[in-house]
Amino acid sequence: MKNSRNRVVTVTIVLVLALLIFVLPLVAASEFSFRGAGGKGHSFINYVWLIHQDGFASHLLTSLQLALLSGLINLILMVPTAVLLHLKLAKWRSIVEFICILPLIIPVVSLAIGAQVAMPKFVQNSQYELVFFFVIIALPFTYRTLDTALSSIDLKTLVEASRSLGASWPATIIRVIIPSIRGGITGALFLSFALAIGEFTITSLLHWDTFPTWTVVAAQQNILGAIALSVFSFVGAVLLMVLIAMVSNHKRSKSNSQLEEVAP
Amino acid sequence: MTNDKNSNRVSSKLELTNVSRKFGAVIALDGLNLTVEPGELVALLGPSGCGKTTALRIVAGLESADSGSLKVNGVSYLAKPANERDMGMVFQSYSLFPNMTVAENIEYGLRVRKIDSIKRGKIVNEKLELVALGEKARSYPHQLSGGQQQRVALARALAIEPTVLLLDEPLSALDAQVRSQIREEIRRIQLNLGITTLFVTHDQEEAMSIADRVGVMSHGKLEQIDKPISIYNNPATPFVASFVGQANKIPAQVTERGNVKVLGQKIQLSKHSSEIADGRNVTALIRPESLHIVPDSDPEGTPGQIVIKSFLGPLTKLGLTVEGGLLVHLNVSSKEVRKIEIGDRISIMIVAEEVMVESA
Repeated sequence: MKNSRNRVVTVTIVLVLALLIFVLPLVAASEFSFRGAGGKGHSFINYVWLIHQDGFASHLLTSLQLALLSGLINLILMVPTAVLLHLKLAKWRSIVEFICILPLIIPVVSLAIGAQVAMPKFVQNSQYELVFFFVIIALPFTYRTLDTALSSIDLKTLVEASRSLGASWPATIIRVIIPSIRGGITGALFLSFALAIGEFTITSLLHWDTFPTWTVVAAQQNILGAIALSVFSFVGAVLLMVLIAMVSNHKRSKSNSQLEEVAP
Repeated sequence: MTNDKNSNRVSSKLELTNVSRKFGAVIALDGLNLTVEPGELVALLGPSGCGKTTALRIVAGLESADSGSLKVNGVSYLAKPANERDMGMVFQSYSLFPNMTVAENIEYGLRVRKIDSIKRGKIVNEKLELVALGEKARSYPHQLSGGQQQRVALARALAIEPTVLLLDEPLSALDAQVRSQIREEIRRIQLNLGITTLFVTHDQEEAMSIADRVGVMSHGKLEQIDKPISIYNNPATPFVASFVGQANKIPAQVTERGNVKVLGQKIQLSKHSSEIADGRNVTALIRPESLHIVPDSDPEGTPGQIVIKSFLGPLTKLGLTVEGGLLVHLNVSSKEVRKIEIGDRISIMIVAEEVMVESA
């Protein structure tokens, strides 16, 4: 009884501490971001300043585009690969896993400079070359997330059941596998998106301008504006995560309501 | 081909001829020949690794055969991919799609066949009614018990009106009571629909109780295929005799004119053992229920001492040590042995028309 109470107290203390570590800086940053001119009073002045800065919307849009594109390309590449590795090429799993971890080991400078040289000129001249790098740096996270999701279901039997019921391979992947690992796919998409939208080093090394590189320049002009920018980025990321989860859940409930038309 | 009793479906004849399959050096199937008549339920029974599941998976198209032929109603099926075979399969692990509700699972095969929604709804309702799960249509698999999940899997397999129904140890994951209930339900539905069914199991009670014919497999070969009662009473090989039911292995000697001397009694040798030469020492396979208690005064009786007594409800299993320290088991009516205790001495004799033997 006493042990159990001690455990509850310990867990509560740890949770409160963790909450303070995560929440306090956010609360403090939010409070700062709303301070008025000269640090006096509270207003939206820093956010208004932020929105009116040259390049705010265009750089944000560029980053969103690149992040979305890299997230989608990552899924298009990694979902079939992970499925194939689980179903038919189990022997290759450890090798692919190792390859997917390489972006964490290889220094970003080597990756950026080395890979860019290998690219055709027309790719080097487009900011969309960043998508290629964003896909690579997200690989360790997307592969791991998808691999865990696929390991949590009886993939082989589900595929066999679907095939024996008359479904083709594409139908099996779209109707059975993807919905069964929807959580993993959403997670992989979010991780890839978050990494891409916040990526600074490669973008800076390759002399491209995206939202993170723009924020560095903008932050040098107004310290409270820079804090507002951090809070904006954080809230934006959280909202995106909620949006992705909502879209995922909406799809699920939509398919359920379609079913109800058929069901007794 | 024959028409079913309650639908327009046509029952199909399934034929496997000389089907072989190797996995590396392991021979999973060694020239398997099997015919399942229209509307018949055949159970493939055997120990793990005997090839029964491989045979089923080859029929389903989930595994390829190295050689041989597979025909349904005379049409070759080996080259057809799994999704073009129109075979309904029920797996051991339920295999319901977790993202779909019960009705959606049942509807799946119809949806991929692009059947219109009105007809789909009608079929789903019929199948839900068939497996008595109408009220669970909107439940998800994780909200169902194991037995309910397996009934959904059965309904899903039947919804596509399969040419052949394939059941891969469908009851193995269920507890004993539910297993017996679902077994009866499968048989009722199979008889009702008259659907040709191949059932794979390692549980002999399951195979015996559900099948029109039982095929006993060992090392990739069909040892014997026959009605359950014939498999039990007239095993064709020593393997079948020892695998199906229980058998005491008692030293014996083949005597003249196809007889065998066992526990001092002369009994006719099974026709399946008739090639064994006279005078040869063999091992007789005697079922526990073929041993009866007789009065001590009976000259043909074999005396022994009771060392095991296990109450099994209507029957009691006795373990008896006879001359030479050999332990034999017999199943007798519990009423008959009420007053007999461990340590008591009794006499037994074999009551069987013929006996199967194997080389000693």
